[in-house]
Amino acid sequence: MDMTGEQKIAAPRQTVWLALNDAEVLRACIPGCTALEKTSDTEMTAAATLSVGPVKAKFTGNVTLSEIDAPTSYVISGQGSGGVAGFAKGSAKVVLADDGPDATLLTYTVKADVGGKIAQLGGRLIDQTAKKLAGEFFKSFSDVVGPHADDADEATVEKKKGFFKRLLGKA
Amino acid sequence: MSAIIDPAALDRPNSYIGKSVPRPNLPKLVEGRGQYVDDVVLPRMVHVAFVRCPHAHALIKRIDAKDALAVPGVLRVFTGQDLAVVCDPWVAVLVHLAGMKSAPQYPLPLVRATWHGEAVVAVVADTRALAEDGVSRVLVDYDPLPAVADMETALAPGTPLIHPELGDNLCFQRINESGDVAAAFKAAHKIVEATFHTGRHTGVTLEPRSILADYNKGSGKLVVHHSTQAPHMMQGVFAKQLRMAEGDVRVICVDVGGSFGIKVHVYPDEVATVAIAKLMGRPVKFIADRLESFGSDIHARDHRIHGKMAVDAEGRITAIDIDDLTGIGPYSVYPRTSAIEGNQVINLVGGPYDFANYRAKTTVVLQNKTPTCQYRAVGHPIAVTVTEGLVDLAAEALGMDPITFRLKNLMRDDSYPRTSPAGMKFEGLSHIKSLGRLMDMIDYPALRAEQDAARAKGIYRGIGFAAFIELTNPSPFMYGIGGARISAQDGCSVRIDPDGSVVAATGVTEQGQGTEGIIRQIVAEAVGVAVGAVRVITGDTQNTPYGGGTWACRGAGIGGEAALQAGLATRAAALEVASAMLQAHADTLDIVDGNIVDRATAIIRMPLSELTRIVYFRGDTLPPGLPRELMQTRHFITKEYPFAFTNGIQACWLEVDVETGLIKLLKHWVVEDCGRIINPLLVDEQVRGGVVQGIGGALYEHCAYSPEGQLLVGSMADYLVPMAAEMPDIEVGHIETPTRESLLGAKGAGEAGTAGAPAAIMNAINDALRPLDAQVLAQPFSPERILQALGKVPMRG
Repeated sequence: MDMTGEQKIAAPRQTVWLALNDAEVLRACIPGCTALEKTSDTEMTAAATLSVGPVKAKFTGNVTLSEIDAPTSYVISGQGSGGVAGFAKGSAKVVLADDGPDATLLTYTVKADVGGKIAQLGGRLIDQTAKKLAGEFFKSFSDVVGPHADDADEATVEKKKGFFKRLLGKA
Repeated sequence: MSAIIDPAALDRPNSYIGKSVPRPNLPKLVEGRGQYVDDVVLPRMVHVAFVRCPHAHALIKRIDAKDALAVPGVLRVFTGQDLAVVCDPWVAVLVHLAGMKSAPQYPLPLVRATWHGEAVVAVVADTRALAEDGVSRVLVDYDPLPAVADMETALAPGTPLIHPELGDNLCFQRINESGDVAAAFKAAHKIVEATFHTGRHTGVTLEPRSILADYNKGSGKLVVHHSTQAPHMMQGVFAKQLRMAEGDVRVICVDVGGSFGIKVHVYPDEVATVAIAKLMGRPVKFIADRLESFGSDIHARDHRIHGKMAVDAEGRITAIDIDDLTGIGPYSVYPRTSAIEGNQVINLVGGPYDFANYRAKTTVVLQNKTPTCQYRAVGHPIAVTVTEGLVDLAAEALGMDPITFRLKNLMRDDSYPRTSPAGMKFEGLSHIKSLGRLMDMIDYPALRAEQDAARAKGIYRGIGFAAFIELTNPSPFMYGIGGARISAQDGCSVRIDPDGSVVAATGVTEQGQGTEGIIRQIVAEAVGVAVGAVRVITGDTQNTPYGGGTWACRGAGIGGEAALQAGLATRAAALEVASAMLQAHADTLDIVDGNIVDRATAIIRMPLSELTRIVYFRGDTLPPGLPRELMQTRHFITKEYPFAFTNGIQACWLEVDVETGLIKLLKHWVVEDCGRIINPLLVDEQVRGGVVQGIGGALYEHCAYSPEGQLLVGSMADYLVPMAAEMPDIEVGHIETPTRESLLGAKGAGEAGTAGAPAAIMNAINDALRPLDAQVLAQPFSPERILQALGKVPMRG
């Protein structure tokens, strides 16, 4: 399936870009993600629990960053095996553009496929599942990266603090 | 050729042929006391479940079963390599289908998996649940390969080859041609043309595929309890693949919960189950669940057909030209092959009509989807859809009523025997009488008036017709001449036991359709006893005469005739003994209602049980040389015609909701000529059930795939079948043109409903949509497709 969308994030482009390259942020924001570790600058191993329709399975696999054009765009792709449930693979082209000095417009083009039992039982639900997951991801991402912490819960605040601390540390 | 039974002669006690006698197995089945394979429990029995490939095409790089074997209760894990040690691969080709090719298929693949759903690893455990736990812990490292998903590009340059050793993805191609098609189209008054699609669907048996294999290492014997249509064929298959003597293999199938052609094929997971039983020396059971059935039961009817018809100014068909393409999956299915469906299409198109010039090509290609093979009415629904779709288009082009056009072009009832342009030999058909009978049933002018009145109110109703022929009572010309060990003959043994009751053992099998019922009726009448005095044995290779089982509508016509002849021979044997005992000429005696009677006066001379008492316990009192075999076996095979064709016509009356695209079936009619009707109740139920299966393919059922070759149906929630609420009243009428090849005169009746229903529905939808200038030609005719035809929703790429 193919899907496109955009998300306004209340943070400068550089901040958003660094967050997009931060394994800890990605781990916190990817729905169902239980582990995400960098094995190189562009490669990560990941584990996530994913439900499509009646099938819920733990997927393990790799995430790769490519076509990197910092701080504007990259392609993030991943594939994972859910054992007897089948497999999932997908990629997203993510493009950032300035939306004034303190905001960024993030557009994404996602291509995702599932196979095996998960396709057989959840194939007709894959479009809406992918839309839901993308929505959840960008909501979390925008919460983590954006500045307005007033309405965020404690955990999100914690995540944010950690992120900015490391950001400052790196700078 | 023989004389045919005179119905008048049947009007006497024990006259059952032609009567609606309830079948003997009904109380058992409705009380839930049938014995299906899953009901059989053996000591030391274990269960197998399969790891199935999630990819359409993939290299199997590594299989790690360590974690699976650690699951308590998991006993063994088998790969393709493990099973190849005891089991040989098979190649499904028939030599009479010239040029046909396929690749060797193993019970589990050795190197590559070639469809989503193919069994790759077998896990054996104490229970099915534990075996599934083991399955979830087997790690298979796949390297996904490009898949051939679209049959239209299967032969295109650059498309990957599924079996490189075959050279291309072509399984079979044939052109069936007669007359001068080019000249006929050149001289045509009108030409109509269309492209039809029949959607890939499957059989959905209530009882899934089931097998329990029990190999006894001590005796070297294999007993297989199998939900199958053809136990003798499977006996041969298991023996050959497992390198055993045929006599060491026994196949038993007691009750079968529906088959529809699904259960007449060799399935790799079933052969794997038998191979595992041989390796482990323990009974091994495999019951397919619904999810794996969708990806491993055979699919069927994945065809695209371009069709063209030429007509002259008088409205006569002068030529038909069709180009059929079908995708059959990565392997032709053993032993019937997956080329027969396409072959049937090009043999059956145009079947009911009188025309001279014919060309039909079928191209059968390999692809990475579930294998397809013979399913109820093999090829017929496709051929009838194309033919009747073109017939309606031609009638419209000529401005003729579809009934007038059919009446002008159908073969005359007095024109037989004759051969069709496609080369099919017809002994005797009744198209004109059938159409007349249909007109009596439907009140055509009233329906047209109702249609007009509804249209005026913005309600779109349509009536569609479909004339058809159906191939039944097949001879060895179907499979035997191609080298397959598929028996076209069948046998029946009839014996009279000491209590005067009768036992009939037949090679045809009971799938829930009532075979035991009709065999009982025939034997009761032939011997001369009450129907309740006859027991029927089916489905056991050790206890029934060798036969082909259930396929291609042969049970009544072939198995029934063998039963009739065996019953008559048993009666004659009993009368010979009676003649000696009663000092009367055998010709003057008869058996009626379990008594030996004087033929002329019907006076009872003695009960049959007295005769059997003497034969079995006081044989010393009979003349020494007197034959006393109260058991006779007869086999029957057709000889004059390769097939006994039946014919008929269907009509469908429906309403299309042009806002939602939903179709409501209002009424369906079938007139069918299956020759001698043995049991009208069972024939009507066969016809109705067949129509409902045709409705499924036409409106709901679809094995949908993603463009990557992922099967997208896994449950009854997304694979829709017609339920009671979707079924219209189905009225069935009959014409009887018995075959003269047998004394019984019966032809088959099981597939006629399925053959014609989709075409009648398609024509009715298009009749309803005609004022809106819309038509649908791709099955299933889903609401989306109806709305697309109406331009209300966009086409999907």
